[in-house]
Amino acid sequence: MMDPSNINNFEDQWRKALQEACETPPPSVWEGIEARLDKEQEKVVPMWWQSPKVWYAAASIVALLLVGGGLWLSGIKTDSNSPQVAVTRKPAGVLESESAETAQHAPSVGESPNTEKVAAAGGPKTASIKAGQQEPIESRVEIAAARNGNANEERENTFAKTANSAIEQAGVRVGVDTQRPAAKYDSVNEVINSASVAVENVQPSEIAVVKAAGNSNAAGWEDQNKTISAQLLASLPYSDLDVYVQKRHVFFRPHLQIEEPVKKKKPKEYFAGVGVMPASFNPDVQLKEAPMAFSAQSVSQRRATTGSSEARASYAVQTQGGVRLSKHWSVETGISYLRGNSAYEGGGYVLNPYNSLSSNVLENALAGLNTAANSPAADKAAGFNNGALYIDVAKKVSNNYQYLQLPVQAGFTLNPDKKFSYSVLGGMMANFFLVNELESASGDIIRTTASDDIYRGTNWAATTGLRLNYKLSSNWAANLTGSYQKAVSSGFKSNQSLDSHPYLYGVSWSVRYSF
Amino acid sequence: MTFNEKELVTGCKQRNRIAQKQLYDVFGGKLFAICLRYTKNRADAEDVLQDAFIKIYENIDSFRSDSPLEYWLRSVVVNTALNHLRQQKYLKELDDIDVHHNGLSDREFTLGNFQMQQLMEMIRELPPGCQTIFNLYAIEGYQHNEIAQMLGISEGTSKSQYSRARTLLQQKLNKEKRFDDGSVQHKQF
Repeated sequence: MMDPSNINNFEDQWRKALQEACETPPPSVWEGIEARLDKEQEKVVPMWWQSPKVWYAAASIVALLLVGGGLWLSGIKTDSNSPQVAVTRKPAGVLESESAETAQHAPSVGESPNTEKVAAAGGPKTASIKAGQQEPIESRVEIAAARNGNANEERENTFAKTANSAIEQAGVRVGVDTQRPAAKYDSVNEVINSASVAVENVQPSEIAVVKAAGNSNAAGWEDQNKTISAQLLASLPYSDLDVYVQKRHVFFRPHLQIEEPVKKKKPKEYFAGVGVMPASFNPDVQLKEAPMAFSAQSVSQRRATTGSSEARASYAVQTQGGVRLSKHWSVETGISYLRGNSAYEGGGYVLNPYNSLSSNVLENALAGLNTAANSPAADKAAGFNNGALYIDVAKKVSNNYQYLQLPVQAGFTLNPDKKFSYSVLGGMMANFFLVNELESASGDIIRTTASDDIYRGTNWAATTGLRLNYKLSSNWAANLTGSYQKAVSSGFKSNQSLDSHPYLYGVSWSVRYSF
Repeated sequence: MTFNEKELVTGCKQRNRIAQKQLYDVFGGKLFAICLRYTKNRADAEDVLQDAFIKIYENIDSFRSDSPLEYWLRSVVVNTALNHLRQQKYLKELDDIDVHHNGLSDREFTLGNFQMQQLMEMIRELPPGCQTIFNLYAIEGYQHNEIAQMLGISEGTSKSQYSRARTLLQQKLNKEKRFDDGSVQHKQF
């Protein structure tokens, strides 16, 4: 076996020899590393750019610019009553450099003093022509601003320079085309020598057109120009006419296309439905203190105040309408008719032996709330104080209510666009009291309405529920809604001796139509 | 070359290319020598070095300054080299081998007269498993149980592979005739 003392020697030698070994790597290694580092950095940068937040920000900036631009353009539109059309006509054969120059001079056609000079010298007729009044066929008015030989060269600047050497004495012939842009050109000589014309077709501004006519010199020049025109025409390619037509539209600013993208609004979805709700209604009538007739009966005092309400089968007929505010949220309201049946067990009843009048505890308490003569329970208010008997018989009496309900509920829907969806509902409900029918001790029905001032006309209740929504078609859906309603205020106007906080459990079946 | 190690690390953490290059310049040579020891040819060594430096730059944030920077760099390079060897499947089949000690005495053993390149070449000529385990045990100073864990082999395999490496290296050294004056002469066959 190996001697352990030598092993260390062996490894130490190798370690000493090689641990500090160093060999310069070739330059290609660093180049490779650098290239890979660059690639890594490139990967990092796009990740940053791929962040949706950046794109949202960019999109919102673009949207702001679009809207701002739209508003700005619409603001410009309102400044001028009619669109401005700048028409630049540039015939072939005329130096392009001249067009710029003439474009500067052209707008001043009607106002130029030189024009006046021409008019004065040549005796021209001056006409004011409204742009819109031109007849389609003869809609083009040519102005021959002739320069006779005596005219000095400064006049040349009035309209445009013509570089055509063939026209030594020829002036500039400016064709003011007042026809509408869509009108057809039917003639070829329209183009010819007009160097460049810019027409501001602004209504109702008028273009003063100087028409040189009646002057023999001018007429002569016109004839001469026509011959020149014919010569130039031969050299012009016909296709250039199309170019003119297109150029007419270059500076046209369409003013009707701007506002559309701003008004993009998702239509709200409305729905309406009908349903019926079997329910368990409990008016929860509490007797705070024994009514007068019962408190006089010392024996019955305790028993009379321990009455309780019991729910009976009830139902509601519901209509509902609502609007979907967002993907998940909706608000709904409706009108429901609630028939709330219940029973009251309040012990026995008192009996007046003299007139055989009887009264159970609830009707006696009701009578105590309102002693008005026309109250349906008024006859129960008195007559039991002296000598009345308490008949100790446990008896349930029916105590039925009718309400008109107006709920306002917010709903949050899960899986809103799926076949099955679930909504959590919550809100308030206004219960408008209609009728209370209480069975008396004698078996009669005591009917109390809202006008009797015993029950509150409006009683508020909190409501909550869970709805299962099954989509039958794109418009129709079936709903199953479990709901709970609990009155937040007492049903009685005066809660001195009686208190009532009705509550209800119900399961509603309904169909709904969305539009 | 004078450099502030802390500043260098800070620069690399900030992805500063100058600092990265400086780190490469300072440690590249030593780390390349490690790569050469673990691989069979220069091309593989260069690949390992590249991969190692990319790892170093990417994971420099995990370096804690309480340990020496060079130690951390060496460990990254060794791990990269081991990964490379695994990919090359050099480390796939490492078995226990019977090693017969050749009886050579190490008492007078010295490497002082060998060139570093010669020694490097001897290591690279070892079978892959032996080469790796020799490097890890003899040069890097890992224990056999650590090596077994790193390579997923038994401790016995690590030991036997190392013994074989040691024997092979001794044989290679013995092929070189050493003279008393310290010069080394290639053995004539």
